[in-house]
Amino acid sequence: MVNGLLPRLGRRLLVVAASVLLVHGLAFLALRAVPGGPFDTARPLAPEVRAALEARYGLDAPLHAQYLSALRGLLTGDFGPSLHYRDVAVRTILADALPVSLWVGGLALLLAFPLGAGCGVAAAMRRRLEGPALGASALLLAVPNFVLAGLFVLAFSFGLGWLPPAGWGGARHVVLPALCLALPLAAQVFRVAHEGARAAHGSPAVRFARAMGLPPRTLARRHVLRPALVPVAAFLAPASAGVLTGSLVVERVFALPGLGTHFVRAAMDRDYTLALGATVVYTALLGLCTLLGDLLLAVLDPRVEAVS
Amino acid sequence: MTGPLRRRLALVWLGLLAAGAFATPWLPLPDPAALDAAHRLAPPGWWRAPFLGTDPLGRDLLARCLAGARVSLVVGLLATAVALVVGVPWGAVAGLAGGRTDRTMMRLADALDSVPLVVVVLFLLSLFQGHEETLAAFGIGRLQFFFVAVGFLFWIPTARLARAETLRLARRPFLDAARAAGSPPQRTLARHVLPNLLPVTGVMLVLTLPRVVLMEAFLSFLGLGVEPPRVSWGILAAEGLGALNPLVDSWWLIVVPGAFLTLTLWALDGLRPAGAPRSSWRSRPRKTEEESVGSPTAARREG
Repeated sequence: MVNGLLPRLGRRLLVVAASVLLVHGLAFLALRAVPGGPFDTARPLAPEVRAALEARYGLDAPLHAQYLSALRGLLTGDFGPSLHYRDVAVRTILADALPVSLWVGGLALLLAFPLGAGCGVAAAMRRRLEGPALGASALLLAVPNFVLAGLFVLAFSFGLGWLPPAGWGGARHVVLPALCLALPLAAQVFRVAHEGARAAHGSPAVRFARAMGLPPRTLARRHVLRPALVPVAAFLAPASAGVLTGSLVVERVFALPGLGTHFVRAAMDRDYTLALGATVVYTALLGLCTLLGDLLLAVLDPRVEAVS
Repeated sequence: MTGPLRRRLALVWLGLLAAGAFATPWLPLPDPAALDAAHRLAPPGWWRAPFLGTDPLGRDLLARCLAGARVSLVVGLLATAVALVVGVPWGAVAGLAGGRTDRTMMRLADALDSVPLVVVVLFLLSLFQGHEETLAAFGIGRLQFFFVAVGFLFWIPTARLARAETLRLARRPFLDAARAAGSPPQRTLARHVLPNLLPVTGVMLVLTLPRVVLMEAFLSFLGLGVEPPRVSWGILAAEGLGALNPLVDSWWLIVVPGAFLTLTLWALDGLRPAGAPRSSWRSRPRKTEEESVGSPTAARREG
């Protein structure tokens, strides 16, 4: 795994960069193909004003020139001014929004993985827990996160009054959104870990260890946990994709000033620069999570080529 | 709750729902769009008139949920059909052709898959806005177009599965025999591959259906899907969340549509045949079956 890791890691990073480039291009085309523009308002602007605005933001240039300038923006990390919040740079908006989304999403992943994996391994060990745990996970999997969000607000904000129902501003604001993202995810992780642990329990190595008289706790810690975690690590990439998509809804429900909120609004308002910037951030995050998942996989299972 | 009992319960719920959704005109319920200023925000009466309560405009929530069921189920079925009709031939052609055609087709699918969902949906919907009159001449409205758009989001996983299955079929002797007997590719595809993909297609149908229903609710919730004069569960949930207010108790507005949605997704998921892969919706398998043969994780992920 260590041998030649760096060049291969570099190659994988290049792949991430290439996919960001590709998605950037596709999103650019898709956004421009959409009829309507950033300056369509309920009351149409005077043609001269509109033309001046378009000239000001370089939207009157031919498409390939616009693409080149967007590409330059991508390479320098400066996506230009937002077309909706006219005086703010896209970079500033993204820099403000990213920590919000990272806090919520990161906390969700941090909650979901240990919870799901722990329950999965425990359920495979104790047969009595298995049925109820599987049933609970099936139900949790079926609850869409916006429904869960509504229920949580009803229970914890209005009913018990423990946590604020919306907004951003402190540790208390992170809890509910992170839980809404984490619980369905934990149910999925539980399924994956449970199946992994069941398979590990049936493996000859574990049977042998049990025959040697190892106590169940030691058995679970030393011989079951690690192979059970391999599919869980492989699940990190789809899970982070799910968290990113889920954040679109959860940020909306809790009125968080995160990436998802800005992204949906930007795409609907044809705020080309902001939508493109958010797309790039999303793609890069996803690519990095995938890479992280593969690295974890290699740590857990040395037979896997770290970065192929 | 797992196993045969769950499957039976799932079928009962889906049957009730379908019956309720399509029998609404004959049920003693008010019109889902009828405003009733005298009974605004009435809590559920359970066995009396507003069975599941009314919304801030006095519309009956049960009637609206059943109307939403009609939209959600029809969108789900039609969009799944679109996903299968596009995805299965795509995967079959790629798998059968192999080589450069295969690589190009699957890379194209991968590239499309990596564009964020919201951009894809907006793009598809705006295609509709651009050609509203033309499509209306063919009797295609926004809702019908929405089926196609949602189905289009799900053709990629379907195509991947179909391709993997075609590769498995391609190793079987009868395809060698067909090729040796001089069957041209189109004929091999139509007579030998596609019919043999039918059983897997059934599995794909069951796997895709809950994801599509969820996606419809998700998009309608965000305001990108079905639009307000029509009702869907996503819209009802969004309305319920919008009406949420610490001063006025209106819990049923979120709990009731949420329960309809959750039970339906739970039931659809329970129909999944044992052993079929459970994947998160819009999951991205990073390696296709062919490329990852021999890698231990691939074997585990499959198993």
